Amino acid sequence: MSWVSELSTRAKVLLALGLYLGLFIVFLLIFPSEGKNEEFQPQDEFMLDAWIPIEIGGVDLSINRAVFYLVLASALTIWVLVWISRRMTTKPNRVQTAVEVAFDLTRNNIVGTNLEGRLAVKWFPFIATLFFFIWFSNVIGYLPLPTNSHETINILGINFPAFGIYAATANISIPLALTLVVWFSYHLEGIRTKGFFKYLAGWLPPGLEDMNPIGKGAIFAIEVISHFVRLISLSVRLFANILAGHLLLLFMGGGLAVLLGLAAIGELTFPVAFVFLVFELGLVATLQAFIFSILTSIYIGGAVAETH
Amino acid sequence: MDLLLPIAQVTDTGITDAGKSIALGVGAGLGSIGAGIGIGIIFGKEIESVARQPEMRDELQSIRWLGFALTEAVAFYTFIFGLIAFFL
Repeated sequence: MSWVSELSTRAKVLLALGLYLGLFIVFLLIFPSEGKNEEFQPQDEFMLDAWIPIEIGGVDLSINRAVFYLVLASALTIWVLVWISRRMTTKPNRVQTAVEVAFDLTRNNIVGTNLEGRLAVKWFPFIATLFFFIWFSNVIGYLPLPTNSHETINILGINFPAFGIYAATANISIPLALTLVVWFSYHLEGIRTKGFFKYLAGWLPPGLEDMNPIGKGAIFAIEVISHFVRLISLSVRLFANILAGHLLLLFMGGGLAVLLGLAAIGELTFPVAFVFLVFELGLVATLQAFIFSILTSIYIGGAVAETH
Repeated sequence: MDLLLPIAQVTDTGITDAGKSIALGVGAGLGSIGAGIGIGIIFGKEIESVARQPEMRDELQSIRWLGFALTEAVAFYTFIFGLIAFFL
């Protein structure tokens, strides 16, 4: 391949692009369109069939894929951190270094900059657990696994459901549950520090002492709405990021080719899927865990602050 | 009235589906425009500030990621509402 190294950079880029598009046309000629595929439903990736049906008093409490991924993420969080803390050494190995960097990030950047002193010590375990749990949940959601869970795997006569790609955080219930915990805990912390009425009065921004009661009431109403909007924004931000990432990977990594019945288009979209997998794993998974925990500490810090 | 019946049927199914698809496409597309401009402004301003005061780089970094994620989420809100319009 000596002739390749003699080419200029521009020619190399053009050659690669030409190869990429040329292969698409060749594949298009070999595998023509097979018509639209009605059987494959892309939303099946997010379908939750009950593995172990449990129903108590009309409430569906079945064990399904989301529950499994939730348990897996919690178990990983507990196991990794306990395991590392048990065998801490003064000369850290690679895993310990990585966990120490994450620990440092949660303690200094996330908690340390927004909460102070005793409060930081008190809330650090909660916020760090949130960070690690969301991070593990996001990352195991990006293991490249099949999307379809209809088929079962037969092991020793028992039909196990096929293990498919899913993320616990790509289901609105889990981010919403985490958000509710955060929402109630920052209000409770504010009430405990300042007292109920002083806390509510603290929602008004400073500098309104001369305002008439109607104007104060209007601003208070806006503040109440903003506190409830936090419920939606905090949960939907995490959920939508992970859901959009999964949909993007699904469509680019072959879903589009199957849906359109056009095998050749897979050649175009697969490199895009790989790039997005790197982007989601490298940036979005960590960033969303970081944002969720830093907003938690900002909310707690805002609830106990003297002025709004 | 008989002449209008096929039109009424088209209104029922076809146009509803078309409207849902347009809602998803236009909603997600317009949302991405706004978030794209916002993310551009965040990174541009950060580059500007680091060029002026390079010693502030570390402090700006965490603020930058916070701003990036908050802005990026706006695009996903429109996407989710588009999906709600599409599937409900």
